[in-house]
Amino acid sequence: MEYQNKQIREIAQLLKKRLSSLDNKREILRSVELRSLYDEIKTLPDEQKAVFGQEVNSLRSELTEIVNKEEDKSNILPSLDITAPFDTNSQNSRAELLPSELGSINPLTTELDKVLDIFYRMGFTAIESREIDDDFHMFGSLNFPEDHPARDDYDTFVTEQTDKENKPFIAPAHTSTMQNRVLKQYKSELDKGRPIAAVIPGRVFRNEDLDARHEHTFYQLEGIYVDKGINIGHLIATLKTFLQEYYNKELEVRTQPFYFPFTEPSFEFSLSCPFCDKKGCNICSQSGWIELLGCGLIHPNVLHHAGIDVNEYTGFAWGSGIERLVMMKYNIEDVRYFESARLDFLRQFK
Amino acid sequence: MKISINSLTSFNKRYKSSNLNLKGDVNDLLEKIGAQLGAVEDVKYVGDKYKGILIVKVVSIEPHPDADKLKICKIDDNHTNNDVERGSDGLIQVVCGAPNVKEGMLAAWVPVGNVVPETASKEPFKLTSREIRGVISNGMLASARELDLGDSHDGLLAIDADQTIGQEFGEAYDLNDDVIIDLENKMFTHRPDCFGHMGINREIAGIYEIPFKSPDWYKSNSTISVQTDDSFSLRVTNEIPSLVPRFSAIVIKNIEIKPSPVWLQVELSKVGLRSVNNIVDLTNYYMLETGQPLHAYDYDKVKELSETDSPEIVIRNPKPDEQIKLLNGKTVKPRPQAIMIATDKQLLGIGGVMGGSESEVDPSTENIIIESASFDMYSIRRTSMENGLFTDAVTRFTKGPSPLQTVAVLGKITEAVLKAAGGEIASSVIDNSHIDESVLNRNSLHPPVKITAEFINQRLGFTMRNEEIKSLLENVEFSVEITEEGLIITAPFWRTDIELREDVVEEVGRLYGYDKLPKTLPKRDLTPTKRNPLLNIKSDIRNKLSLSGANEVLTYSFVHGDLFTKVGQDKEQAFEISNALSPDLQYYRLSLMPSLLDKVHPNIKAGYDQFALFELGKTHSLDQIDDEGLPIEGEFTALVVAAADKLKIESSAFYLARKYLISLSGEDVSFTPIDKNVTNNQLIRPYEPNRSAMISVKSSGEFLGVIGEFKASVIRNLKLPKFSAGFEVDTVALQKLIDKRTHYSQLPKFPKLFQDITLKVRASTKFSDVFDALNGELNNLKPDNTVIELSAIDIYEPDSDVSSKNITLRLEIASYERTLTDNEVNKLLDEASESVKESLQSERI
Repeated sequence: MEYQNKQIREIAQLLKKRLSSLDNKREILRSVELRSLYDEIKTLPDEQKAVFGQEVNSLRSELTEIVNKEEDKSNILPSLDITAPFDTNSQNSRAELLPSELGSINPLTTELDKVLDIFYRMGFTAIESREIDDDFHMFGSLNFPEDHPARDDYDTFVTEQTDKENKPFIAPAHTSTMQNRVLKQYKSELDKGRPIAAVIPGRVFRNEDLDARHEHTFYQLEGIYVDKGINIGHLIATLKTFLQEYYNKELEVRTQPFYFPFTEPSFEFSLSCPFCDKKGCNICSQSGWIELLGCGLIHPNVLHHAGIDVNEYTGFAWGSGIERLVMMKYNIEDVRYFESARLDFLRQFK
Repeated sequence: MKISINSLTSFNKRYKSSNLNLKGDVNDLLEKIGAQLGAVEDVKYVGDKYKGILIVKVVSIEPHPDADKLKICKIDDNHTNNDVERGSDGLIQVVCGAPNVKEGMLAAWVPVGNVVPETASKEPFKLTSREIRGVISNGMLASARELDLGDSHDGLLAIDADQTIGQEFGEAYDLNDDVIIDLENKMFTHRPDCFGHMGINREIAGIYEIPFKSPDWYKSNSTISVQTDDSFSLRVTNEIPSLVPRFSAIVIKNIEIKPSPVWLQVELSKVGLRSVNNIVDLTNYYMLETGQPLHAYDYDKVKELSETDSPEIVIRNPKPDEQIKLLNGKTVKPRPQAIMIATDKQLLGIGGVMGGSESEVDPSTENIIIESASFDMYSIRRTSMENGLFTDAVTRFTKGPSPLQTVAVLGKITEAVLKAAGGEIASSVIDNSHIDESVLNRNSLHPPVKITAEFINQRLGFTMRNEEIKSLLENVEFSVEITEEGLIITAPFWRTDIELREDVVEEVGRLYGYDKLPKTLPKRDLTPTKRNPLLNIKSDIRNKLSLSGANEVLTYSFVHGDLFTKVGQDKEQAFEISNALSPDLQYYRLSLMPSLLDKVHPNIKAGYDQFALFELGKTHSLDQIDDEGLPIEGEFTALVVAAADKLKIESSAFYLARKYLISLSGEDVSFTPIDKNVTNNQLIRPYEPNRSAMISVKSSGEFLGVIGEFKASVIRNLKLPKFSAGFEVDTVALQKLIDKRTHYSQLPKFPKLFQDITLKVRASTKFSDVFDALNGELNNLKPDNTVIELSAIDIYEPDSDVSSKNITLRLEIASYERTLTDNEVNKLLDEASESVKESLQSERI
């Protein structure tokens, strides 16, 4: 580091020289010379203060860095025998049969596993979603034209780096980013007379500010079903069957028309509140209904992009958040806890 | 988007569009709208808060003896209110502070006993007869804000002179029992026609299966005829017809700018729009009615800003560095591809987004140009986003309203302007249109859709006949022809969204009601479902580690650039988010361990002295790109163990981390020193080389990951306790290891013998060298048909001699054919230790 100010330059040299002779290197940061430089800032005319002050701070940082490195060196412990099963002289005591502390699994993954299990039993396979993808999979293959206003509903994070098409990579804002791949991957099932049936769990990202109800990172589960003769009744019955299995009770469901570019028709799907049986409670905001997910019949352009004959086959798809399910189940008040790595939160889910 | 039920009803009455009764069962209406039109975000019931408020005439005004700003007014309510103290002249005394109160004006009077409407939904303020500075005031004369009709509180709301004195205010302006419904815009992303009263009315009629008929003026489309002397010329040059398919305009002269009549102010304020003046308000009113945004320019200002005497409107992209001062007072530099409305020399506004302030209609305006245009929705969206401009026009233009309606709406507003502001039409309709001839001829944006009832029924899971489909669609003004082959469906000219057969399916299903459709599960055969092996193994890992006392955490996929620095990783290797919420989330992480280490100190601080955290996640690195050009996603399992310094644990954390690893991987792993030359591997950066190891699969040599304690700088930077160590392994490689973990050796029928052996070796000798050498020899020398297993019992380094250590191993041995003797086993151990003696420089003790 070259200091412009002569005085600082000299003191820097002096202190660095002294450093080698010190046992406790950290003392150098409390040296009279350094302190005097700080005192001097106050006495300078205003226009010189900034430049001088910056250099003094740089000197302090430089010295701190040197001290840290020296201390790090002396803090290195002796080599270990990395091939040994236990430490020397540790008198390898017999392990307890039970660990003294029971661990925990994040409630999000536990719940996701439960959801997956139901869909496995219903005949769906599972594919994990990606955490970084290209524009084609996130938007293009899903019938979102360039600059389409529907893109506004997905405040995506994008990267500085770009894909083959010279478009930024995208942190997917929905698990639908996998639809095209999964349809292609399982297209051969259709030729064998079997449906494409898959669920896609994964982490998704939205560029929105955090609060107790909003996370920029959350989990979704996408579902796809394609076969001959698939209709809206199949979609509603499938989701209803899943939810009844999940909540282990009879439920009512209803749909509201909606708009997604990749389904036509599109719906928002609600279930009667499983916690109060439609009587009205805090969880359903006294309405008796819980709006849970978006769904619809897969848009022919999406099937077409995957090379599926839209005259032969129709299908349905849905996408649902996982956090909501868990928060409602345990009455968790803040979505940010899931990714906080706080043991006071996690250890409640033993 | 907000919609007033009273406004909808008034529309239907005014234009005889349908016999829909919206004022009946509101709950049923809301439910129908929710199920068949779109989500209702909010409902506001106006109810009877205007009941009793009367239109009165201010007869006389006297100054207040005790207050300069207050006046004593005598008002005439035509003796409608029976509950108020009157003077001998029959008039009512009210004290009023409004600056605009004057004799002869009509105003709204809130009588004693009434609640001020503004306060009705908050803390209701009930008026009483009270003294104001010594003068009795009976009720109040109200401003627009006090009437809950907008923000204006400058003075009394001046009621139009043609109103009847003594009439109820709410009745006169159709406010009683109104319901304001806020519909979610998202549903209408593809439905520009639903951004107006007409469209919403049509849809509601459709879902109640009642025919709707659009007013004739709207359907007259491009054929309005005007009488004009063409006294004010206006030329339009469209340089960017691909972005502006249609630009229609007209000039009106000699108009009078004034405040809007109260009914118009009320209509706007009900849905949250501000009243400006009669012209601007009318452009907004007809936008609310039809969904077509309109704009008015001051003709003379446009002329002033033109080079030539006869003004010309030029539609073009901005020139480099051109700026425009907008109606909101801000000056912006529009993006190069923005649609600009200009004269031959200067910008007038950003087309479809916001007008400029220099051509604004103001109180002195006499002549105006009204624009009714069609803009490319994608271009409008981009301009709006890039310049941060969000207006009611943008909301509508980004949905792409039909270009086939511009002239009809222009005709309607022209008529309304002449009526409300006087004046005469001063130009022909200028209609710069670049719409395809075929579209104009069929008067529908897309070719007719040929479809069969079977196609529709197959997707709805229903059996609907041609006639039922025809009737549902005709209610909302589709034209439907039933032929031998099926149905030929032509969408009305305002529908931009009916292009494919699936679009018709949506329309029919929605108008019929999806919740009425039968619901059955799809049929499938008995082929078993394939479970996802990686997801399965992840579950197994979670279960195993949690049962061993570790806690699963999830941490963000994005990290702060500083975290890389703190652990010695190179952030140049990481994908960088260009629109990160904060620096905390600016990079995709290169490995999981730094995120875990970052969570150690906060948990220790929170009082947790000992714990193990683990995470299963994905990693990304710039040098990991697949053939398709996509980043390869690494699958990793990471775990960290830590214990607070105050516990003063003497042993090395490394071995606890190792136990966790072995509990997952089994024993088929080998540990080799960190290769300091592998500089590119970001995974190993946080680890202290002389207390860490690379992990690989012993039997295959496959790379598994890294395990160890952390560099002193990492410990310092992340405030880690001394007792901390961890591992990070490739989950896919781990999966293979776990899959073949279980193998079985048949159980010998003869008793098993145990024998310990202790070898004294140099302190620097590796445990694995001792173990492997001895194990190898034992396997060479063991009797036929025996099975042996060697395990570690102790490693002891006496304080007295730090140059050597004693390694104690235990041999288990059994034969499949006979009972072994202790002597035999002793001999075996003797021989084995003898043959390793030289290579290990060991001594049996």
